[in-house]
Order: sequence, then structure tokens, then C-alpha cells
Amino acid sequence: MTSASQADRPAAASLRKDDRPPFARVLVANRGEIAVRIIRACHELGIEAVAVYSDADADSGHVRAADVAIRLGPAPPAESYLRGDAILQAARDTGAEAIHPGYGFLSERASFARAVESAGLVFVGPDSETIGALGDKLAARRLANEAGVPVVPGTLEPGAVQRADGIDALAAEGDRIGYPLLVKAAAGGGGRGMRRVTSRDELPAALAAGSAEAGAAFGDGSVYLEREVLPARHIEVQLMGDAEGSVVAVGERDCSLQRRHQKLVEEAPAPGLSDEERRELHAMAVRLGRAARLRNASTAEFLFDEDRRFWFLEVNTRLQVEHGVTELAADVDLVREQLLVAAGRPLSARILAAAENAARPTRHAIEVRLSAEDPGRNFAPAPGRIGRWRMPAGPGVRVDTAAEAGDRVPPDYDPLVAKLLVVDVDRPSAIARLGRALDEVEVTGIQTTLPFHRFVAAHDGFRAGELSTGWVAEEWDPAVGGTREKALDVAAKAAAATAGTPDTARHASPRERAEASGWSVEAREDAIDRWPR
Amino acid sequence: MSRAVRVTPAPTSRLPGDEPREVDPSAAAVEPLGHGRLLVQTADGRPIRALIGEDHEATPTRPRTVEVVVDGWRFELEVEDAARADLRARATRARATGPGSGPYEVHAMIPGRVAAVAVVVGDAVTAGQTLLVVEAMKMQNELRAPRDGVVERVSVGVGETIDLGDLLVVLA
Repeated sequence: MTSASQADRPAAASLRKDDRPPFARVLVANRGEIAVRIIRACHELGIEAVAVYSDADADSGHVRAADVAIRLGPAPPAESYLRGDAILQAARDTGAEAIHPGYGFLSERASFARAVESAGLVFVGPDSETIGALGDKLAARRLANEAGVPVVPGTLEPGAVQRADGIDALAAEGDRIGYPLLVKAAAGGGGRGMRRVTSRDELPAALAAGSAEAGAAFGDGSVYLEREVLPARHIEVQLMGDAEGSVVAVGERDCSLQRRHQKLVEEAPAPGLSDEERRELHAMAVRLGRAARLRNASTAEFLFDEDRRFWFLEVNTRLQVEHGVTELAADVDLVREQLLVAAGRPLSARILAAAENAARPTRHAIEVRLSAEDPGRNFAPAPGRIGRWRMPAGPGVRVDTAAEAGDRVPPDYDPLVAKLLVVDVDRPSAIARLGRALDEVEVTGIQTTLPFHRFVAAHDGFRAGELSTGWVAEEWDPAVGGTREKALDVAAKAAAATAGTPDTARHASPRERAEASGWSVEAREDAIDRWPR
Repeated sequence: MSRAVRVTPAPTSRLPGDEPREVDPSAAAVEPLGHGRLLVQTADGRPIRALIGEDHEATPTRPRTVEVVVDGWRFELEVEDAARADLRARATRARATGPGSGPYEVHAMIPGRVAAVAVVVGDAVTAGQTLLVVEAMKMQNELRAPRDGVVERVSVGVGETIDLGDLLVVLA
């Protein structure tokens, strides 16, 4: 079946036709939880889903969920999920009509979108020209500037970090912008390639490190400078557009709780905004979206400063990690909408209604990102093999994940293992529900960010809606040692109690016991007698 | 009659400031909850759930090690009789050349790929100086010298994949 074309679809007779699947087969060019999320949307629309995978993911959740799975190559992204040629070949080989890129990887590469279009396939996202115009953060800043949307002060052209005179020129720009400032990757996203610089002395090293990280992550080492607006909240607007030129804002999200510019907690709507502020923000985002002739899903990110002013940051021309809070708060399905719009259909009545009501929200949703990172060691990566895996359920709870007990979380990719979302009628009840859901989480084998999320859900300031991008450094960093110390006390008691339990003794065969040194066997036998009954 | 058990965070999950705990198992109020869960009474009277994960038997070089997760914090804990733990600690100290004067081994605290090596054998380094850059989960992590010293050995090269606990650099 081919996608419905614009010309032969009279509006009045479209209903029955639109009930048919927009595509027969879609290739999902991603991995992990987002691939599973997209595969679910495909299956609900009657679309067959094709997964692609690297050697590190041969047995992973998105491969299990798909109808067909194609190997791309070895674990490193450059040899697998970033190989546009191999992905296109997989689409041709499997007869997929469209490619959904998810987030990260190739999702914002205009060259990949163009290659998909040239191959006669549909790229589920904005067209390659829009991705080029908005996906380049610098071009987006220029576009916003021209559309009359206030942008965060900084540079508008890429810095020449390879040349000494280029670095001098950037240092002069830095003095003009003022410190602290941020080095950012023009091709960036998710904080990759970003460095905070507090003085001119630190700038050359930050430029080199940021550029190298950006080059490794995106294949493009271009960087620019931007003032650090502090204190500020990070508020972003979900945009959705169709091929006929309609662009709407489906509400906003607050993603202020970040660490090293990686979002940790997101909610929709942004707490504490007036209806008027919401309208103003949504209008700015729509203006930008129209100027860029936006089709499909994108997100316009803003900073909201102490004087309640919005500053444009960037547009992400893809589905966001945190799209689920908008889905729960606005009662829409953004991935389904993406697939329908990609097949040439107009924005659905449901999305239009949600956009209509976006300034007067009636529900509140919160998402926490459960990642394989150690919040006791500055969120250092903590890949490994998952032992026990139990996720929460019950009313108002949604978990997006590809993980199962026994799965390996590979060190090669993003550490996100599950997104835990809750929704309720208002923010206080959503927070209570979040606390309950977090209590139900049971994960062993890897350290996750769960302790941080528990801290947030119980925190008075968070409950009061006092959010800022500096929150984690101000609130969590001083408290982390104490919460861990307390847990260690409890863990030590639990560990001591297991010494020599019949249950654990069973695991050791007599031969293994004999191989263990004599004294440790004696110690275990002592312990068996002391097990409290 | 009860003998204390020494519970020590294993090197793989130990953070600076983590001290061993001495626990009297007969005094600790712990109830099994089933499916590897224990309910532990705390000083403030609030019971907290502990998850028991992997349980590794003692080997000649390592005490029995139990994985425990409490409030989302994951620990690998070495569990042994306190008196025997003292003996072991004395033996370990006796083998060492003396406190603080021996070579210092820098081990990998995160698995990943070595993106850069900033030092060569013979370099004098100061505390805080970058030794290596490790790329893991798309982030560049700088590994810094824990103290002043001279680089005696560099065990890894650029592009190499490293695992948690691998020896990276030795400082004399």
C-alpha cells in the first residue's frame, strides 16, 4: 500500500480512507526505549515495524518488539546507528516505505533526511531543508532573530577553533558576551559538546574539548558561544505541523532539572505560568515554526529568566525524549500524529483541540529519566547487566523502556534505560503519584539515578515549584552524601543478615566451598547459627 | 553470644568516605519479605526495604560479596566475621611497603574507550592534572591524578576499551 497523496483525497470523503494504515511498513532507525515507543505506535496503526541493531543490541528490547530486525554493524554508533547508507539499504531490503529516526543518532541530520527523500522514501520528521535550517543551532538563532523572537545573547556564526586567530576572535566575543558563558556545539543536542566557561583563561581548553566531543558525537565540531542565563528555567514548546502549512503548539514542558545540561526530570505544563504567559510563549514558538515552514514534530526551547522573560535557545527538529509528558497532559499521541502527518494527512482534530486548550491545562504530567548513571559519583556512567527489573504500574503511571531483567546496558550509547511518567489532575497529586511509583521501582545489577529522583519527589522546594537549571547543583550535590550514607547503614544490616542464610548457602556447591579458603568457610558456618529467626 | 560481622563496601562500589560497618546480626531487626527483599528497621522506627541481588561466595582473595540496593543506592558489600576481617587487614598492611609511600595505582572507575592519553612514562604530574580522557556513553570524562607523583606506567592506549577496575596508570 502506498501513502495517501494530497491530490486524490477530498476532505469530505477522507474519513474512511484515513482509517487505513498510513504505511504498510516503517523502519525505526533507533534503539532502546524510543525504538520500542515508535514500534508500539506502528503496531497500533496496523503498520509493520522494522528494527535495526548493532552487535551490542542483537538481543535487546527493540529487536524483540519489532516484526523484522536488520543488523547494521559493530557497536560504535559510527559503524551502526549513524550509518545512513546501511539504514537506507535495510529499508529497501525490507520494503519499508518510511523511516522514523527517533531522537539522537540521525534524527537531525539534514543529509540523512535528504538521502531518504531522494530514495523515494518518507522521512518521519520535518523535510531536510527545515532540518538544515533549524537543526544547525546557529542558523536557528539567526532565523529566530529575523522572526522577532528574542534569542539568548551570544555569537551567530561558527567559531574557527582550529586557528589561533579564530580563538582570539572568540575570546574577544567572550568578553563582549560576558562570563560565565557556554561553548555549544552547532550540531548539538542533549548537552554533547557543551562546556561552561567562567573566565577567558578557560576558553581555549573548553573550545578544544567541546569541539572534540561534538566531533565525536555528531561528526561536526563547529561550536559557538552563548551567555549563561542564571537563574533560569528551561521551558520548551511542542510544535506539530502538517504538509498544508498548519503549525500548532501542543503546550509546553518545563525541563529545568538538569545536570551538565542533561535533562533529568520534565513536566507538563510548566508550573506557575499565567495563561497569558503561556499564550505569548506558544505564539512565539508558532511564529518560529511557520518561518521555518515546519512540518511534523519539533520542539522550540526557551529559557525563562527571573524577570519572567523568554529567550529562544534552539529548535529540535525531532521527537523529544520527554514527548510523553505532553502526550499525558494533553491526551494526544504525538508519534501516531507524526506517522499520519508523514503520510500527508492534515493535523488531526485531536491535536487541533489540544492546541486550542494548551493555554488552560487541566492535567499535570511528570517524567523522570531512569539512567544507568551513579548519582553518588556526579552521574558517572554505570553500564552493566541488569539483575532484577521491576517497574511501577497502576493508575496514571506509564513506563517507556526496552529493558528487561538480564539485559546488558552497553557502554556505547546513551545511559537512559527507562522513562517513568505519571499523570494526575494537578501538580501536587502528580508528585504524590510519582513518589508512589518510585517506591515500586526495583532494579539491581546496575546503579541508576533512582536515588536522585526519590530525593526530587520528596523535596519541599520541588513540590513548591521552585525550579531552575541550577537546582541539581544547589540542592542535590550537598545532600547526596547523606542520603547514600543512610542507605549504606541499612544495606549493611541487610547484608549482615544474609550471612549464611540457608538460601544463599545453597548457591555454593561443596566443591566450591572446599576451594574457598578454610577460614571463610568457618566464618560462614558461624554466621548460619546467628541468622535471626 | 554474638560476634560482629564486618560489612565493607567492595572496591567496585566504594566511594571516598565509605567506612566499614560493624553489625551484630542478632541485634539488627531484619525480616525477610520474600523474593529477595528484606525489611530493615531503622533507628527512627521507619522500616526500609532492601533488595538482595548477586551473592558471590568467598574466594581465597576476596570475602563473600553481596549486592544490596536500598532506596535506589546499589552497594556491593563484603561480608565477613569482624575478627577475621582484622586479621586480613593486618596481613594486607604488612605486605605494603608502608602507608602513603608506595606506588599509586589508578584504576578505571567507569568503563568506556580511551579517547586520549595526556601523559607518558616519566612525566611528573601534580594532583588534579589530567591523565586520560575516557569516552563513555558519548561523554568525555577526564581522569585526573589523585596526588602528585611521577608516571611509572601507562597500561592503556588511545582507542582501547577499558572495563571497570582495569589498571590504567601507576604513579610513583
